[in-house]
Amino acid sequence: MATATATGDVQLTNLVNYTLVKLHVGMGLIFFIIVGLMGFLYSLQLDGIYPFPGIEFLSPGRVRMIHTAGAAYGFLVNMFTGLLYWAVPRFTGYKVFDEKYLGTFMFVGLQAAVLITVVAILFLGQADNVEWGETPWWIDPVIVAWLLLHAIQFGTPILKASQKAPLYVSGWYISAMLVWTPLVVFMGNFIPRFWSAGSGAGAVQSTFIHDLVGLYVTPVAWGLMYYFVPVIMKKPMWSHGLSLLGFWGLAFFYPMNGVHHFLWSPIPMFAQYSAVFATVAIEFAVTSVLINFMMTLRGSAEVLKYNVPLRYMYTGAIFYWITCFQCAFHVTLTFQKVIHFTDWVTGHAHLIMFGTFGMWVLGMAEYVWPRLFGKETMYSKGMSEGAYWLLTIGVIAMFVDLTAAGLVQGFDWIGLNPWIDSVNFSKPFWYFRSVAGIMMLTGLLMYAMNFYKTATAGKGLEAQLKQTV
Amino acid sequence: MGKMERFPFVVLVAGLGFFLFADFISWALPMFVLKDIPMKKVSDLAAEAKAKNTSAWADFQRLAQYYPEQFKKYYGEVNEESFAKALKIGHRWYVAEGCWNCHSQMIRPVSNETLRFGIPGVSNTVSYPSEYQNELQAPVLWGTKRIGPDLIREAAVHNVDWQVAHLYNPESTSPGSNMPGYPWYFEKDKNGNIVPNERGIGLLTYIMWLGSWEVKPTKEWALK
Repeated sequence: MATATATGDVQLTNLVNYTLVKLHVGMGLIFFIIVGLMGFLYSLQLDGIYPFPGIEFLSPGRVRMIHTAGAAYGFLVNMFTGLLYWAVPRFTGYKVFDEKYLGTFMFVGLQAAVLITVVAILFLGQADNVEWGETPWWIDPVIVAWLLLHAIQFGTPILKASQKAPLYVSGWYISAMLVWTPLVVFMGNFIPRFWSAGSGAGAVQSTFIHDLVGLYVTPVAWGLMYYFVPVIMKKPMWSHGLSLLGFWGLAFFYPMNGVHHFLWSPIPMFAQYSAVFATVAIEFAVTSVLINFMMTLRGSAEVLKYNVPLRYMYTGAIFYWITCFQCAFHVTLTFQKVIHFTDWVTGHAHLIMFGTFGMWVLGMAEYVWPRLFGKETMYSKGMSEGAYWLLTIGVIAMFVDLTAAGLVQGFDWIGLNPWIDSVNFSKPFWYFRSVAGIMMLTGLLMYAMNFYKTATAGKGLEAQLKQTV
Repeated sequence: MGKMERFPFVVLVAGLGFFLFADFISWALPMFVLKDIPMKKVSDLAAEAKAKNTSAWADFQRLAQYYPEQFKKYYGEVNEESFAKALKIGHRWYVAEGCWNCHSQMIRPVSNETLRFGIPGVSNTVSYPSEYQNELQAPVLWGTKRIGPDLIREAAVHNVDWQVAHLYNPESTSPGSNMPGYPWYFEKDKNGNIVPNERGIGLLTYIMWLGSWEVKPTKEWALK
C-alpha cells in the first residue's frame, strides 16, 4: 500500500482500468440476482407451490444446480475479479498484466463459460455430481485455463511489487489464492472422475467443496478486506503480527478441513479425525483475524453509522465469526450425528456465502461504484440503507430458521418417525425461508436499482458528510 | 520476517507446500489405504447382477415384461449389455436431474440409519467402501442433503411397481411428498397408456439396482 498512497490521483486513475471493474462488478451483480431467483424458485418446490411443474428444463433439481454453480462462477468470480482489478493495481502500484486483450478475453471467456454451463445443465442434461462443481466436466478445462490466465493477470503486479519491498497483507492472501484456485478446480473436477471412485473420490470431492470456499473465496475476500477497510477508515490495521498469524494459520489448516463434509462416511477415520482437528484449529486463526479487524475499528465505530460500505464489511465480518464459531462445534462427530444432511448445514452455508462474502462484495462494490463514474456518493442514501437492512435481516432470518429446521429434521430422523413427518414438520420452516428469500431478493433489487441510478445519473452526486476520522 | 512477506515465499510455501501436504493427508493417504479394493466397470456390475441373480436383475426382467414395446425399442433383449446400458443411462439422468441434491446415498453407522433405511433381516448394513468402488460412483453420489430419504438401500425398500408410479407422480404413492413429478421420463404406448421411455426405464433400473447387492434373494425373485 505504501506505493499506492504515495502516487497522486491522476496516476491512480491510470493504474486501474475502470471499464473492466464496471463490467465484472455489473455482471457479478446481475448473476447475484439470477442465482438468488434460482434459489427462491427451488425453495418454492419445497413449499409445494412450484410455479413450473412438469417443464423439463425448469426441473427444480436442475434449477438448484444453477443456484450453486452460478453463485460460484457467475456471481463470486465476477465480483471478485472486478474488485481485484480495482484493488491489486492500487496496493501494488503496478498495472495488471494486460488490460486490453487479456482483460477483454477473460471477461468474455468467463461469461461464456457460465452461460454454456447454464445451457448445459438446464437443457442438455449435462451436469457433474460434484457439489459446487456442477459445471459439466468438459467445461472444467476451460475454467482451469481461465484461472491460469487470471493468475498471470494479477500475479504480475504483485510479483513486481514484491521485488521492491515486502508485500502488504492483501498481497499474501491474493498471491496464495492465485496459485491455489486452478489447482483446486483441477483436483476437484478431474480426480474424482478419472483417477478414482467411491470413497477416494468422496475424499477428493469433500476437499474440493471446502477448498473452493477456503482457498479461493476466503483468501481473495480477506485480501480485499485488508485493502478496503484501512482505506475507508484511513488508518492502518491494528496489528501486523495478528495479520501474519491469521494468514499462515489459514494457509496451513484450511486445506486440511475438507473431509469434515463427510464425517461418519466410509472414508478412513484418520482422515476424518484430522479434518475435525484442523477445523477446530482454524477457528483460532479466524478469531485472531477478527480481533485484528475489531481493534482496527476501535475508536472509529461511529463511521459505521453513515458509511454503508464499511457497515456491510463489518456485518459480514461478524457473520463470518459466527459461522466459524458454529463450525468449531458442529464439525465434531457428536454434532454430526444429528445435523448432517439437514437444513442446519444449508443455513450455515447461506450465512457464510450470503451473509459474509455476499455482504462483503456488496460493500466493496458500493464503495467502488460511485468512484468509477466520477460521483461522490450513491444515487440514494435511502435505497442504500434499505438494501442493507433488508439483506441483513433477511439473511439472519434465514439462518436462524434453517438452523432450527435442521434440529427438527435431525431429531425426527433419529426418532424413526415416518419420513413424511420430517417433511411436514419442516414445511413451516421452509415457508418462512421463502419469505426470508423474498426479503433478500428485494434488498438485492433495491441495491441494483441504486447502482443503475448512480451510473446513469447526471453530475451532482456530491458527498455531504464530512470525514470525522 | 521480510522474506515471509514476498511473493515467491508465499507461493511456494503456502500456495504449493501446504496445499500438497493437506491433499496428501485428506485424500491421497485414504486412497492408498483403499487401493486394494477392485474397481468395477459398469459391465462388471451387470455381469455380477446376472451371475448372482440379484433383485436388480429380476427387476430389469420385470420392466421388460411390463413394457415390452418400449423395452424392445430402446433396449432390445434382456442381457448383460442392455442392463449395463440401462444403468449408464439411468445414472446419467440421476446426476443430470439433480436427484442427488435431495437424496443421499450413504448409510451412516449412527442415528438409527441402518434401521431407517434398511429392512431388518433383509438389508440393514452400514455403507462400506467397496460398494462404492465402481464407475457409477465416480464422482461419488453420497450427497450432502436429505429432503427425501436415502436411496443406497432402495432396492430393499420399495418394489419397481411403486417406483414407476412414484417417479411419474410422487403424491400418488407418498401423500404430502414435495418431490416433483418427472413426466418427461414417460411416453404413451400404442394403447395410450403412460409408460416409461428410454430414460425412464434406465432411471428405474438404476434406482432398483441401488442396494440390490445387499438384498438377500428370496424364492419370489427367482423369475425364469
